[in-house]
Amino acid sequence: MSAYTEGIITLLMINAIAAMGVCLLTGFTGVFTLGHAAYMALGGYATAILTVKYHLHWLPAVVAGGILAIVVAYVIGIPTLKLMGDYYAIASIGLGEAIRLILENWQSVTRGARGYPGIPTFTTMPVAVGFFLVLAFLLFCLLNGSYGRMFKACRDDHIAAALLGYDTARVRVLSLTISAFYCGVSGGLLAGFLSFIQPVMFDMLKSTELTAVVVFGGLGSLSGCLLGTTIITLVTELFRPISQYRMLIYGAVLVVIMVLRPEGIMGQYEFGPKLFRKLLGRKAPAQERR
Amino acid sequence: MGTLLQQIINGLSLGSVYALIAVGYSLVYSILLFSNFAHGSFLVIGGYSCYFALKTLGMNIWLAGGLSLIAAGVSAILTERLAYKPIRERTNVTLYLLIASMGMSIVIENIFVVTVGGRFRALPPVIPTNPVNLFGLATTSAFDLISLVVAIICLGGLQLFLTRTKWGLAIRAAAYNLRIAGLMGVNVSRLISLVFFVAGVLAAVGGIFLSVRYTLYPQLGGITIKAFVAAVIGGLGSLPGAVVGSLILGLAEMLTAGFISSQLRDLVVFSLLVITLLFRPTGLFGKSVGEKV
Repeated sequence: MSAYTEGIITLLMINAIAAMGVCLLTGFTGVFTLGHAAYMALGGYATAILTVKYHLHWLPAVVAGGILAIVVAYVIGIPTLKLMGDYYAIASIGLGEAIRLILENWQSVTRGARGYPGIPTFTTMPVAVGFFLVLAFLLFCLLNGSYGRMFKACRDDHIAAALLGYDTARVRVLSLTISAFYCGVSGGLLAGFLSFIQPVMFDMLKSTELTAVVVFGGLGSLSGCLLGTTIITLVTELFRPISQYRMLIYGAVLVVIMVLRPEGIMGQYEFGPKLFRKLLGRKAPAQERR
Repeated sequence: MGTLLQQIINGLSLGSVYALIAVGYSLVYSILLFSNFAHGSFLVIGGYSCYFALKTLGMNIWLAGGLSLIAAGVSAILTERLAYKPIRERTNVTLYLLIASMGMSIVIENIFVVTVGGRFRALPPVIPTNPVNLFGLATTSAFDLISLVVAIICLGGLQLFLTRTKWGLAIRAAAYNLRIAGLMGVNVSRLISLVFFVAGVLAAVGGIFLSVRYTLYPQLGGITIKAFVAAVIGGLGSLPGAVVGSLILGLAEMLTAGFISSQLRDLVVFSLLVITLLFRPTGLFGKSVGEKV
């Protein structure tokens, strides 16, 4: 396998981990976020500083990045997740940009806008694939367990969920912290892959991309979100030779998919017997939303 | 004291330009209930058409300005027709519109990158920027005063349009309830086009002033994120809110830049957003979003 292919697969795995986090929050809990790149930035910077300055082994450093993202998400989530609908999305833009700007201006710790160089390149393809498989398995178990049903209940009708005795605000905070962990780990792996990170890499465009990938794949479908990540990553990577048109194509793909199939590629279906039954024309259980 | 006055005037002038953009956001939000992230592209379109009208067609500023306003307005209508209308007709989930608008903003920004290149361009000196002495108290630039005055004229014009004309009445009715306005005989599709046209025109005015203040480049539209923040602080969907929010933001930004550090100005902007949302989730003048139980 050529180094280029390996690189793309590694990048794909890193993006997929972040997208899974956003998928949990947006697809399964129904909280729209436009600031999740900030958690990637936190994870990335924590990993970078711990490995470069404190010579920590990369594995605990990546986990520490994830935990830092959890802590920040928890502190941020408690007051803001009382906001409903669009307003959390708006608040998350502000929070995401604020975190990025803090990283950009905190010269003594983060070296500011010039970026953080010299991170050991520990993210090889096996590492990325290993992380992806473990995290995907954990998320799969989470979503198919009682917690998953709780998240989905809050997404589908938060008032009914509240009447059933769920503390919906707490469920949302829980979902946010888990998703922040995924994004933090993904950021740490990205730092180890590129060996250089910069606050600009985690701007609003990146946050948008994360949410777009999830909507693109299908809200409420884990396999759809992975499919969406694959398509978007491949579109942006394979069109790199015509780099001028790359972003143009990316934007156009986004608009076209929203116009043609707003519910996303997979809708709420997962790869599995249900999808095949539907494709073969037999009646699958109703899965309409809203 | 002089510096303070000067920064306040700068802040008001910057805030008034934000207000032009924020009002466009608010207008679209009040009708369609989604944040049009492609709004920033309209000001880039306005800026570039003004630039080319001045440079290659050799028009004077009035003609070029008029042309760029129309260009931005028409492209706003086209954006709505191409990207939002099909989605609007199919579903009422506003998130899809939000994502599509982000896609549109990426598309338009990169059309400019591909066609005219990403380099920075300075508009010819069409708007005087010479220093003006204000009653011996402070010195400010003529540009700041002009942009303040133009913004006031535009916003006043918009206010008159909304309160004195039949279409203005229709827009206010639609902001109250789009469906019922449609049932009452308002041509909703034309009304939405009109709203987008007005928003595009106002964005182009802001775009011309911003490209004189800074320079012109395809990513200039990114600055609308601040106008968006202003609209949210004022309360999405409320026009006076958008203006007040913009002025607060402009003042906060310029006072931070003048007295603390110019690097912190963006941080102040976003902290203001977060603080506002924490204490008044619907903004200063926002309609409270009642939940049905």
